[in-house]
Amino acid sequence: MTGYIASRLPAYAALAAAGLVAGLALGRVEPVALAAPFLLALVAALAEQEPQVSARVSLDRDRVIEGDEVTAVIELSSAHGIHRLELFVPLPPELSAEEGQARAVRLRAKEEQTVELKLRCDRWGAFSVGRVLFRARDALGLRSWEGVAGEARPLRVFPSEETLRSLVPPLETQVFAGNQVSRARGEGIEFADLREWQPGDRLRRVNWRATALRRSLWVNEQNPERNTDVVLFLDTFAEVRADGRSTNDRAVRAAATLARIYLQRKDRVGLVGFGGFLSWLVPASGTRQLYAITEALLTSQVVSSFALRGVDVLPPRTLPPKALVLAITPLLDDRTAAALLDLRARGYDLIVVEVSPLELAAPAPGSSLELAHRLWRLSREALRWRYEQVGVPVVTWREGVPLAVPLEEVNAFRHLARPA
Amino acid sequence: MAAFVPGAVLGALVLVVALAFGGRGLGVALFLGGATYVTAVAAAGTGIDASAPLVAVLLLLCGELSAWSVDERLGIRPTPDLAWRRGVGIAVLALAGLAVATLVDALSAVPSSHGLGWTVLGAAAALGAAGTGIWVARR
Repeated sequence: MTGYIASRLPAYAALAAAGLVAGLALGRVEPVALAAPFLLALVAALAEQEPQVSARVSLDRDRVIEGDEVTAVIELSSAHGIHRLELFVPLPPELSAEEGQARAVRLRAKEEQTVELKLRCDRWGAFSVGRVLFRARDALGLRSWEGVAGEARPLRVFPSEETLRSLVPPLETQVFAGNQVSRARGEGIEFADLREWQPGDRLRRVNWRATALRRSLWVNEQNPERNTDVVLFLDTFAEVRADGRSTNDRAVRAAATLARIYLQRKDRVGLVGFGGFLSWLVPASGTRQLYAITEALLTSQVVSSFALRGVDVLPPRTLPPKALVLAITPLLDDRTAAALLDLRARGYDLIVVEVSPLELAAPAPGSSLELAHRLWRLSREALRWRYEQVGVPVVTWREGVPLAVPLEEVNAFRHLARPA
Repeated sequence: MAAFVPGAVLGALVLVVALAFGGRGLGVALFLGGATYVTAVAAAGTGIDASAPLVAVLLLLCGELSAWSVDERLGIRPTPDLAWRRGVGIAVLALAGLAVATLVDALSAVPSSHGLGWTVLGAAAALGAAGTGIWVARR
């Protein structure tokens, strides 16, 4: 704890000393009488002892969703009592306190007091809350002591999710059972085709109507239900941020939504954070993978980097063959654009969801930046055209539009383009 | 007396500036006020000015209330009793200061060779002051 004296105390000491000296020099009592109250104030200030403060911080919840409220409870106590104890709880920019982060209370000796702070979680992320800065003052504010108390507590704010009724079906499925109807033939529920009976076919697969028409045995063929491998490719090279909104925030929300829904369908989902800080999660299924992806998303952040990166730096198991790669990117960095084209060239089923930065970077009407903005939009159009030429659907997700809308555009693109 | 008005006005102006700039210069304002009063008293000649304790307490109140107003600008939401406690503390300090200053003024009226009793009382007062200083320094 660090002690401080009020700025007026040295002035009081100087006044008192000057009064005593003037009294001696002039032989008068009035300067001494003038100095007396200030001497008394000095004694009152110096008589205060350094206080002992104990603080314990707890949160009513440590895992919440964006927009939720958390109550931080601060339990204070002091052995000798404190006339005025000022508290300040430092918060990251993503959290806000409804009634301010600072409080001033009085602590009686050996009595515990509780202070509650309502925190609003404005944005997703992993935070530490709990360190409390305090300042203890005496009754007149002549002396103060400052210190830090409490221990940081982890707080996980999960991204809010979009509502999706249907997902983009992959072109290829994997060999394990799942919820996705495969294009292959095998045991399943969905009817696929008819063929002539072959030795080994089960009797229950015989299509008796077709058999009666053709006077030879014909059997049904089904499409089996298989799972898929989905890799969420999150671009963290760059973002556009304005007025508290960011393309990276929306990208993380989209990734969290897609991960949860694909994992619910028993698909295997992996994650690649492609940017200044490279991170990856090998595709897996189940609740454990959902938690792992969510934790990875909470700590993802845009890190500026000039390093040249390509997809060849990723471990091979991160991008399994025939996986559906869903790239969520603002298409701001050339390295991401090149990496995605590389993925397409390697034969991956690639879909690009462009998190539009145009709404966040619009120039003022009539400004000189309008021409630069138009050129920038044209370059983005050209990049989208390059992707479409190689059969990669690029859909733009604008602010305020549900995620389901661009995903439906993917289905429409595939229906018209009919990729091989 | 009119010759000391500029000094008092200057002290008041410095006080206003100190309040406007977060208390910086408060000591200078108090010093100017006190110096103006002492100079006026010295120029007035012999005789004890009975208003000296009152002037002392008014200067102290000026300093304390100014500091309090600056502290309240912090904008920290306090519990209601904290303001009352500080007000009471300032009032107690002012009354105690008034009593001590009045005692100093009254004791100065006693002739220096009044007798053994007063000498012992003076010595006890000096010992008490020294003891208070030692006790405060050791805390």
